[in-house]
Amino acid sequence: MKIRRIQDTLIRAFAGLIVMALLLLGTLSYYYLHKILIQNAEATTMQLVSQLNRIIENYIHYMDDIALMAVTNDDVRTFIANPRADTPRLRSAIESTFESLRAVRRDIDSVFVITRDGRAIAATTGGALNPTVDLRKRFAELDAGAVPDRPSVSSAHVENLVDYRYPWVISLVRTLPAGPSGQSLGLIQVDLNYDIIAGLCKDIQLGKSGYVFILNRTGEIVYHPRQQLIYGNLKSEKIADILAQGGGNLKTSVDGREILYTAVSSRETGWEVVAVSYLDELFRASREAEYVFLMLSLLVLVGAVAAAMLISSNISRPIESLRRSMQAVESGNFDIDITVNARNEVYQLARDCDIAVKKVRDLIEQNRLEQELKRKLELRSLQAQINPHFLYNTLDSIIWMIELGEADRAIDMTSSLARFFRIGISRGEETISVRTEIEYVQTYLEIQKQRYKDKLSYEIAFSPDLHDLQILKLIIQPLVENAIYHGIKNLEGPGLIRITGEKDGESMVIRISDNGVGMSPDQLAALRDGLIEPRPSNGVGVRNVQERIHIYFGLQYGVSFESSPGAGTVATIRIPVIAGSPT
Amino acid sequence: MINRSVLLLLAAAVAVAVALTVVYRGARLLSAAPGAQKKVVVIFKTIDYASNPFWANVRDGVVSAGQDFGIAISIRGPALETDVQDQISIVDAAIQGNPDAMVLAAADYNLLVPAAKEAKRRGIPLVFIDSFISSDDGDVRIGTDSYEGGQKCAAALLRYVKPGDLVAIMSYVKGSSTAIDRESGVRDALDGKVKILETLYSNADADMAYSQAARLIARTPDLRGIVALNDPTARGAARALEESGKARSIALIGFDNSLLVLHYVERGIIRDTVVQKPFNMGYLGVEAARDLIEHRKLARFINTGSIDISVANMFQPENQKMLFPVSEGP
Repeated sequence: MKIRRIQDTLIRAFAGLIVMALLLLGTLSYYYLHKILIQNAEATTMQLVSQLNRIIENYIHYMDDIALMAVTNDDVRTFIANPRADTPRLRSAIESTFESLRAVRRDIDSVFVITRDGRAIAATTGGALNPTVDLRKRFAELDAGAVPDRPSVSSAHVENLVDYRYPWVISLVRTLPAGPSGQSLGLIQVDLNYDIIAGLCKDIQLGKSGYVFILNRTGEIVYHPRQQLIYGNLKSEKIADILAQGGGNLKTSVDGREILYTAVSSRETGWEVVAVSYLDELFRASREAEYVFLMLSLLVLVGAVAAAMLISSNISRPIESLRRSMQAVESGNFDIDITVNARNEVYQLARDCDIAVKKVRDLIEQNRLEQELKRKLELRSLQAQINPHFLYNTLDSIIWMIELGEADRAIDMTSSLARFFRIGISRGEETISVRTEIEYVQTYLEIQKQRYKDKLSYEIAFSPDLHDLQILKLIIQPLVENAIYHGIKNLEGPGLIRITGEKDGESMVIRISDNGVGMSPDQLAALRDGLIEPRPSNGVGVRNVQERIHIYFGLQYGVSFESSPGAGTVATIRIPVIAGSPT
Repeated sequence: MINRSVLLLLAAAVAVAVALTVVYRGARLLSAAPGAQKKVVVIFKTIDYASNPFWANVRDGVVSAGQDFGIAISIRGPALETDVQDQISIVDAAIQGNPDAMVLAAADYNLLVPAAKEAKRRGIPLVFIDSFISSDDGDVRIGTDSYEGGQKCAAALLRYVKPGDLVAIMSYVKGSSTAIDRESGVRDALDGKVKILETLYSNADADMAYSQAARLIARTPDLRGIVALNDPTARGAARALEESGKARSIALIGFDNSLLVLHYVERGIIRDTVVQKPFNMGYLGVEAARDLIEHRKLARFINTGSIDISVANMFQPENQKMLFPVSEGP
């Protein structure tokens, strides 16, 4: 399994999360920013264009007012209706009327009166009427395009009614009401200086290179800042699309650039005022924002990686230090304090580890002490066997037998003593077979019997299935010794020691009973205490047996006594059954 | 504690940041930030716009293109179209200014060659408009196909004269490339159909053209046609023809379109005039300069075209805008 460091995992997770969040955020804000920019542009442009349209309509209204005034003027009506009344006086009266109007309004280039029969009056800058213009023909053309009682507005055009003057104008024509013949006899043409419209349109700034143009009802260009380019096919506008849409916003692309058309049509003039905005210019502000966002994103990303490194190092450093401590423990060094510089679960973990290691250390120490104790106890039990009094007494007895010439008994006793010690020292093993232990006790009792003669007799009754089991060595003899010295020795009359052994479930129960003097409750209590507390008065052997059983098998096993004065004593040894493995 | 992958991640983040910054800044520089605005010098044959409405129209095109493409335009030129030396020194001075590109209407077919070579040596993109030079030092030539323009003049004239009639050609500056080409266009188209007198040169001066034409009309009673190859020459010839009272018998074909020429056309003194598209010339000249600055491939020659204008079509909407400049009165 590939081990991945916490730090890497965290950094990957942080960076991934941040990148995903930023991507999402970036895409969303880009989308909404563009949407808002377009909406704003549409709204502002629409406002501008509508305003421009109203201004243009105002001009047209004004021109129409003049035309209306002229149509209702008596002098004009006379001039048109009656060729014979066409006198220089009448002409100059009409001219001065128009001139006074032109004087206050510089935007009105000219006012013309043209009659069906080819007469005309021009209130204009400069000279005479253009002799090359056929006025009858001109009247016929204008009359054909006019609607009775309504003004008709032309596209921008060059007006050549005046000799050697070619001004760009927008013309408004009103015909006089029809005469008796059913035909209109004359018309009024008011020319608006085209510069006015061009100037209004030019003044409108739409971004860096946006502009405004105007179409008439049929899609001819009334004004366009790049009209020459359009006629020269160097530039195009999607005029058909704009007319088809009939006002409003239209997003499209022209000559490879994304543009936004915003069109408003005028009911008065039939014109369509169209604004052109370039989307790339619109989004220039958004590019600025995108840049800032990008830089911030990278900053956040770098920050996130740094934070991930810091956090992960805060997490992994104590873990790393804990790991090193545990490695030391693995290699056998339990003498360390496991502490980490952290205030979290790792600290608790380290503390638990510390406790565990200390417990292990204590157990090891306890184990070592127990081993030591066992060796000591064994040594002591050995010492107990070599009880000097027992040895002196036995040797005294042997001497006596020899002096009395009882050589055979002396030989028996000496060989019993020898066998007794041979088993006692027996190869330093902890356990021996029950059979050997019995033999050992028997040897001991035989020796004692030599001393006590008929005063001591014994019986040993072990169930046969016990003989091949193992037993902790030298645990019966000290109790037998105890029975002899404290029970039988002071008894008047013969004493009997009975040793039985039987299985009780998983336990082996060995009873050493005597018919000796017994013990008072105080004595019994003192003996029981002596099993726990060392006490010099008490047999070293008995306590040694108890301790050894406890160490080997636990406190549920051990030696217990029952006794009452005059009724003898029963010592019971309870130890677990150990299957025979006589090595 | 910082392992290699983390270092790599950080390095990558920094590299990406740097790269994006560079790209972004670069894009901003390219998108015509004010500091990076390209400078193009435009040198006309003359900047006396009042007597040369043709150049006023070229100027409008140049200025429009400058606005459309975000290019800083500087227009220069001699006061007199014939002052070739002045134009040469203007070109030399402009080269010293180290513009991003130069647009030039050569006042002389041969004398501007050294100046063009110098511009080329300095690595300045060079666009010729209207009039070119004898060497191929310019990168692009934009203008009326003058030979074709001359042929159109001849075709117009042939509608008014009979085969074998006597006609005259009045040219303007001897040695000017456009004059040479227009004349050969006329001559080739008239060859074998009419008799042609020796070419006259007005030096692009209306007064000189007037006296030359007056003399020509007076001395050549059977003259039936005159082709005047530029605007001042046409104006001078028209004045002489009108004064002579022979406008009905002599067909005058002009070139270019000052208001005066158009007024003569309206009155029938000048029958036809072949007009160029000076606005387009100026606009396309600057566009070509922009393309050269941005290392785009361009055709060696761009024909802006010419149109035969007579009283019949001069007020048609598509021609009005070309012929009559907005707010340009007499």
